[in-house]
Amino acid sequence: MIAARVALLLLGATCLLAGVLGGLVRLGAPIPVPAAAAAHGALMVGGFLGTVISLERAVALGSRWAYAAPLASGLALVLALAGAPRASAPLMLLAPVLLLAASIAIARRQLATHTVLLAVAALAWAAGSALYLSGLPHLAYPFWFSFLTLTIAAERLELTRLAKRREAAGPLFAVVVLSLLGGAALGAYDLRAGTVLFGVALVALALWLAAFDIARRTARAAGFAGYAGRVLLGGYAWLAVAGAAWAGCAFDPSLRDVALHALALGFVFSMIFAHAPLIVPVVAKIRMSYVPFFHVPVAVLHASLLVRFAAGYEHPAWRLAGGYLHAAAIALFVATLIYAGTRRPAVDERQRPRVPAL
Amino acid sequence: MNPAPPYPYEGDPALGARVAATLHRVIDPELALDIVELGLVYGVRAGAGAIDVRITMTSAACPVTEHIVAEIDSELRRELGEGVTPRVEVVWDPPWGPERLSDRARHALDWD
Repeated sequence: MIAARVALLLLGATCLLAGVLGGLVRLGAPIPVPAAAAAHGALMVGGFLGTVISLERAVALGSRWAYAAPLASGLALVLALAGAPRASAPLMLLAPVLLLAASIAIARRQLATHTVLLAVAALAWAAGSALYLSGLPHLAYPFWFSFLTLTIAAERLELTRLAKRREAAGPLFAVVVLSLLGGAALGAYDLRAGTVLFGVALVALALWLAAFDIARRTARAAGFAGYAGRVLLGGYAWLAVAGAAWAGCAFDPSLRDVALHALALGFVFSMIFAHAPLIVPVVAKIRMSYVPFFHVPVAVLHASLLVRFAAGYEHPAWRLAGGYLHAAAIALFVATLIYAGTRRPAVDERQRPRVPAL
Repeated sequence: MNPAPPYPYEGDPALGARVAATLHRVIDPELALDIVELGLVYGVRAGAGAIDVRITMTSAACPVTEHIVAEIDSELRRELGEGVTPRVEVVWDPPWGPERLSDRARHALDWD
């Protein structure tokens, strides 16, 4: 089973590599991978993130059948790249349905707001993929990002139970989630209104996370917990930027690049950078010791987004430079993961405090 | 004398103190707090050649469960030797709630 998990992780990594190369081609890089450029969004959302999220869910559930979800999502995009769209399309639809089934199984084990929300997020992935395959990518993206955003929000909501809860947190969270899904759906009838609502919901989610998430407390901790907390807070800042840009897209289409990539790279990849040092060793059953160097790829990621966005949409050279820096940040992060997973920890790292000071 | 652990314990009291100290070394990596302070340990029973540990997690959707179970297993084996087999069971009933947090965990998480 471990070999299968690692193989699925590598399948997701293959889609990530193709997606990154495709993204660079879109920015003007002279790389001969036209198929990857055409499928950039699907590769990143379904091929990479869909695969690793489904894999994480399958590990949590512990049922063999649940591993069919990451297999389907990764394979779908590999087949799409190989020029087999007829074989790819059914798998693109099957993957979110399997993730939905795994999420329902988890919700049956523990019926809670966050487990139900994970199932809703899987449904949003299915809706997005169906719209994408129907030739409506502009309607697909809000649903695909609802999938990613709600998956992250559900996991963070669960952890807020550890903090002293304020009365307003629950009702406000419900309003944010309904606005997000409402904005995605409204886009089919009134694109401008749906776009504004979706963007405002993203900003509201960023504010909710900034106010209620325990990351503000854990960011002060030593070691991995502190690192993860700080990276999460940086991601929430990009979520707010993405939301404002998304709403602005309704009036200025050139903001679309900021909206999509502040959300995907600034927010979603921050979540990955924050948690991969914890999740990858669990999935691959290896020991990984946290190294402070993880902060470096995070800093490069933030810098790459500033480079991409600061010069404005009419400066393609800056956007391409930003794109190369995104790729460098991801490559550096993967290299750091490999280093942290293969180095021998010092003896004193095994001596843990009973309650580390936060 | 050590205070009683915040979970039901059956078995030799001296061994119970060693098991409690060992479980305090198992840290939830995201929170930097140990599983006893987080109230995740539901009960321990020390029998002949085996230690049964019942735990819960805050989320059934969290893959870190595997990591926590493996950590409990390896820490208990390290503390008690290979002659004792740890058996860790993850249960979801009763569900975990924040009332299970220890005072030290509440302090660390800014409850006060």
